Amino acid sequence: MKTWLLLLAIIATNVGNILADEVDYLRDVKPILMEKCSSCHGALKQESDLRLDSGLLIQKGGASGAVIEPGRASASRIFQRVIDADPDQRMPPADGFGEPLNTEQIKLLKNWIDQGAPIPEEEPPPADPRNHWAYQAPRKQAPPGSDSENPIDRFLQMRRQPMGIRPIEQADRPTRLRRLYFDLIGLPPSADQLNSFADDDSPEAWNKLVDDLLAQPQYGERWGRHWMDVWRYSDWDGYQQELRGSQRHIWHWRDWIVKSLNDDKPYAQMIVEMLAADESAPKAPEALAATGFLARNFHKGNRDIWLDATVEHTAKAFLGMTLNCARCHDHKYDPISQKSFYEFRAIFEPHQVRTDRLPGQANIQIDGLPRAFDQDLSAQTFIYAGGDEKNPLKDIEVRPNVPSILGGQYQVQPVSLPIESWFPAFRQFVLAEERSKLKTTRIQTERKLKESAPHRIEPIHSIEYSILALEYAVASLKLHSFDSRCAAEKARLYQLKAADVTARQAAKDERKLQIKTAELALARKQLELTQAQTAEPNDVPSQQKLIDKLSKEFAALETKLNSTRTEFEKDDNQFTPLGDTYPKTSSGRRLALARWIASKHNPLTARVAVNQIWMRHFGAPLVENVFDFGLRSPVPRHAELLDWLAVEFMEHDWSMKHLHRLILTSKTWQLASTSGSEVAEKNRELDPENAFYWRADVRRLDAEIIRDNVLAVAGQLDLKLGGPDVDFKQGETSRRRSIYLRHAYEKQMRMLVLFDTANPNECYRRSESIIPQQALALVNSGLCQEQSRLLARQIWASVTGSDSQKVQGFLVSAFVRILGRDASKEEINNCLEFLDRQAVLLSNPERLTEFTHGQPAAVAPSEDPQGRARENLIHVLMNHNDFVTVR
Amino acid sequence: MNKHTKPTDPDHTRKTNRREFLENTGLGFGSLALASMLGKDRLATGDEISNNIPGPHFAPKAKSVIWLFMIGGTSHLESFDPKPALNKYAGKTIAETPFGGVLDSEFLANERVVFVDPNNGFIRKTCYPMQVGFQRRGKSGLEISDWWPHVGNCADDLCLIRSLWTEDSNHGAQLQFHTARHRVDGFFPTIGSWATYGLGSFNEDLPEFIVLGTPLADCCGGQEAHRANYLGPQYDGVPMVVDPVKSMPYITPQRGTFAEEQQQKFALLGKLNRLTAAQSRDDPMIEARIRAYELAFRMQTAVPQVVDLNRETQATRDAYGIDQQETDTFGRQMLTARRLVEKGVRFIQVYHGSNGGAGGWDSHQGLKSSHTKLCRQVDQPIGALLTDLKQRGLLDETLVVWATEFGRTPGSQSKNGRDHHPYGFTIWMAGGGIKGGVAHGATDELGFHAVENRHYVSDVHATVLHQLGLDSERLFVPGRKRLRKEIGNPIREIIA
Repeated sequence: MKTWLLLLAIIATNVGNILADEVDYLRDVKPILMEKCSSCHGALKQESDLRLDSGLLIQKGGASGAVIEPGRASASRIFQRVIDADPDQRMPPADGFGEPLNTEQIKLLKNWIDQGAPIPEEEPPPADPRNHWAYQAPRKQAPPGSDSENPIDRFLQMRRQPMGIRPIEQADRPTRLRRLYFDLIGLPPSADQLNSFADDDSPEAWNKLVDDLLAQPQYGERWGRHWMDVWRYSDWDGYQQELRGSQRHIWHWRDWIVKSLNDDKPYAQMIVEMLAADESAPKAPEALAATGFLARNFHKGNRDIWLDATVEHTAKAFLGMTLNCARCHDHKYDPISQKSFYEFRAIFEPHQVRTDRLPGQANIQIDGLPRAFDQDLSAQTFIYAGGDEKNPLKDIEVRPNVPSILGGQYQVQPVSLPIESWFPAFRQFVLAEERSKLKTTRIQTERKLKESAPHRIEPIHSIEYSILALEYAVASLKLHSFDSRCAAEKARLYQLKAADVTARQAAKDERKLQIKTAELALARKQLELTQAQTAEPNDVPSQQKLIDKLSKEFAALETKLNSTRTEFEKDDNQFTPLGDTYPKTSSGRRLALARWIASKHNPLTARVAVNQIWMRHFGAPLVENVFDFGLRSPVPRHAELLDWLAVEFMEHDWSMKHLHRLILTSKTWQLASTSGSEVAEKNRELDPENAFYWRADVRRLDAEIIRDNVLAVAGQLDLKLGGPDVDFKQGETSRRRSIYLRHAYEKQMRMLVLFDTANPNECYRRSESIIPQQALALVNSGLCQEQSRLLARQIWASVTGSDSQKVQGFLVSAFVRILGRDASKEEINNCLEFLDRQAVLLSNPERLTEFTHGQPAAVAPSEDPQGRARENLIHVLMNHNDFVTVR
Repeated sequence: MNKHTKPTDPDHTRKTNRREFLENTGLGFGSLALASMLGKDRLATGDEISNNIPGPHFAPKAKSVIWLFMIGGTSHLESFDPKPALNKYAGKTIAETPFGGVLDSEFLANERVVFVDPNNGFIRKTCYPMQVGFQRRGKSGLEISDWWPHVGNCADDLCLIRSLWTEDSNHGAQLQFHTARHRVDGFFPTIGSWATYGLGSFNEDLPEFIVLGTPLADCCGGQEAHRANYLGPQYDGVPMVVDPVKSMPYITPQRGTFAEEQQQKFALLGKLNRLTAAQSRDDPMIEARIRAYELAFRMQTAVPQVVDLNRETQATRDAYGIDQQETDTFGRQMLTARRLVEKGVRFIQVYHGSNGGAGGWDSHQGLKSSHTKLCRQVDQPIGALLTDLKQRGLLDETLVVWATEFGRTPGSQSKNGRDHHPYGFTIWMAGGGIKGGVAHGATDELGFHAVENRHYVSDVHATVLHQLGLDSERLFVPGRKRLRKEIGNPIREIIA
């Protein structure tokens, strides 16, 4: 992508050089007017009855007459208005983001008018944005060709044929196998797996292999990472211990993603759960974890940033819509009004994030479930004039709604929530765990009391004994009070007749507990005081000071005890609730949104998802801008294919695995990435960019997969699934898959960052950079060097025969294990020569220059020069281009 | 339009003829035509200044930039912008002075408060006198405070810009100073990455954008203040430590590795990759990867060497204050900066004052003691840098920028400190085709608002880019909106 961006930048730069030349309306002027003017003077809106989206309409002028005087820019209203020094008069209006034309744009406009404002004779009439391809429901048209072939191949063939493009041959089996393993599970095939497939190359064997890999739990990890990019997964972010963004324990959402993919949960259901599991499945903690999608947007300091991000990325991720461009003004290109942005925001306005307790862990700092819920059903949304939060338009009512351009029904039904949801402290397991904790304490205090008999003579011992007795009494009363609070809560919840009586009892039991607690505090203080009074004085004044202080504290505690005793006489029903309660009703706004998005009638949802999946299989998407299917997104070249896949996806209950199977069993996916054939030669001329998929694209592995691959080829990868995030600083030493390393703003493993890991803030598509620091990471990281040593030793231990047979066997095996392919003769020869020379070199270490500053090796290099040469060789192969490349 | 994601490559501009490339590289390791591989200095190609690269857009004045950033907010009132009125009205409220109008100024609306910090970021209303004296320095007679004696010695090379303003009244302004966008808008390409994006490298064995000093804390932008964001990681600033042993991440081979051993490994790798390249006509990445490895190999030697200050004379080391406790750290960074300039590194960003939080210069209290200490740490090294560059004839083609995120309030905070002040503050530039001995712009009598020749931070960027031969307006990536205020305008008045 970068390269074409650069090319465009170059084209844009060139514009400067042709200023003096003839200005072309279509090429030079129209794009400026479309960008700067058409949202108010175009098909959707015609301020002052003026449209500037076609040459004829510009000539026609508006309510106040002509806007151009051909040949005289300075006398033309349109020119006067764009250069007006008064910001209130200048167009486009300075509503905060209405940026004036830049000098080059002004020059182009001026020169065009001065040159007579010529327009082409046949300018296509301006299109109505409502007719934009992506806003029409996808239609499934029958693919041409034989039904026995994969529809993907047939649609692509339909486009290739008229161009004279023919696909090249299939990739050889090891290449295809390695490609498939990395694609589906993100791990390389073992030598055995390569061999077993080599025996059977039938389509049935291939289909079975695809099924087998889709059934492996590593599929969920591999594709989970893809969707984590799109859904902006971020572990908690903060300054020291302070949480500033996302949420602690958000990894529950990550595990939900992995599991949902492994279960092939319908994508539509995934959308519903991520946006509104608290409304659709309020009792199911495993579904609630999905609302991490919302919780991830948490922003400590600023609710506007939080909700802006929620709006922007919900629209981009699921709908390929740049709703965020309508925050400050109507969308410049798409038929989305500014109000529409705030209506979408209103859907999320009531929601907040909280952390629910999970079974087995009472401390939510250690673990818990971050989740969304509706906190304030009356929260209002205001349009911010010009996007300025200091300037809310309080007179305009903003009701929750979805952009009307996509059609469909947005129907909000409030959801009444079960007790578990609005009163999480009253869940069975919480009550049981709390009670058992109190009971354990009671048993412990009882045991301690019994073990300590009151037979000592010293008065101080009798204080100690009474403390033990009070501790037991307090523990017993705590349990008792808990039980009566539970009974009272229950009676109140179910509106039992006895509600008031039980509440009074609970309140009374609490007051009893308070007395005992106060007595215990007093006894403890008395012990301290007695100890201070009877201690051998080292320093008399300071001891006296201590005694005075303790006496004062003792007196205070005595007063407190007396007041609790007085309190005891009270008779009310005010007991301490068991925990926080939340609203009993949820607005239903998000559920309505989720259902509208996940509807088969939404023209964008399936297309956007299919495009993402396609891109991650082929390296290039069908729709270039994966998060913007708006008007700047032209009809894709393979539109019929995209639509067919989108409908197929929906018809198969939104099954991603179904799409994977379709794609991976196509001939197109299995093509070679290069060929010396004449067909290829011709294709390169006709379609150098491979827009017609006549070959596979060579791709680099994703950052996480590169690190996993290092561990995997050495047989050291820990395949444990799920769980809390691993500190990113352990990336060099941990054996876990990279998906589990902490991933947040300023909290990412350096090696992954160097290899273009997802920006946790936004990453709808990864870049594939090639920079020298990547080379340094693979060359000098302890991880790579140590894993190469381990691998070299394993391979060497597995080869047999004469010395030269062993070396041969070592090399053959090394290429297969690390690069997934056989070595060529020339490669073998180079490696043999290297092994010999390196062994000689290393036999005379005293002549060599040693690096003495780096980290010491956790796995030391071999003492034997030949062994060390072999380790070097393995390390070289881990740095080979093909190690990080899929062909 | 190309449907494919293309790799980004150190040499993103030139399409080397493939056969020629293989022939060149086939000669073996170390004999490569490096210039063509590394996008060697586009300036040096003279008449080749062409349209097929983003820049330069016109003849440059400067080749390199040294960007010094004081973290926390250096007081303009005790450094480069003396305000006798503060002494005169010390202890009086601003409203009691004849200049009370500053509190009604429309400029106050430029502040964008996002995180309300209950303690800091307020307008302080009781005039606090200057804590240090000022002298007229050099032939130009620029007024510079006594805490900056060495920098003052170079007064005739300095161009003070006393009329900066920014939006963020908290330390997100640090990030804003580098991206020209408010912290809450997110992350954007930084000035150093735009410069290198526009020009590419003109050295053969070092990164083109290098960062020295401890970066910003993550409260205030963290590493994003020297990253390239959507321009791609090849334009990120590369942090480097002035220590040959650990100059860059992954730069040092494990202990016990032999140089010769490693060289042979790189050589074998090159051979194997070229064999593969010959078989892979449709792989656009392999050439770039071969080059990246060759650059990495040279960096392994070049980076530790460039930070090895034992190669400098004792006199030079002494001038920079190396081995003196207060000036040692920054002195080493300044000397390294000069060495990097000599090596042809395009952009060197140096941070000073990192303390894991808001920054050392953030003097809400005890301003006098903190500023005297911090000024002592940087003054001599900066003075030495300017003098050294000049003596070596490098100052003309090296633009030195000294900056901080905002100034400090004319009013006092906690009796002896000053609060954050985004409405008017000073930065300076030297060399690189900028006029010397000049003070441009001014704040009002209290040093409150920039009132004459006001400049938002992006004007500094546009000026730096202009001196490098780049037009800020023409630097953009289609599909990525740059706001007008991000682009800025070169400060024409200060260009020599």
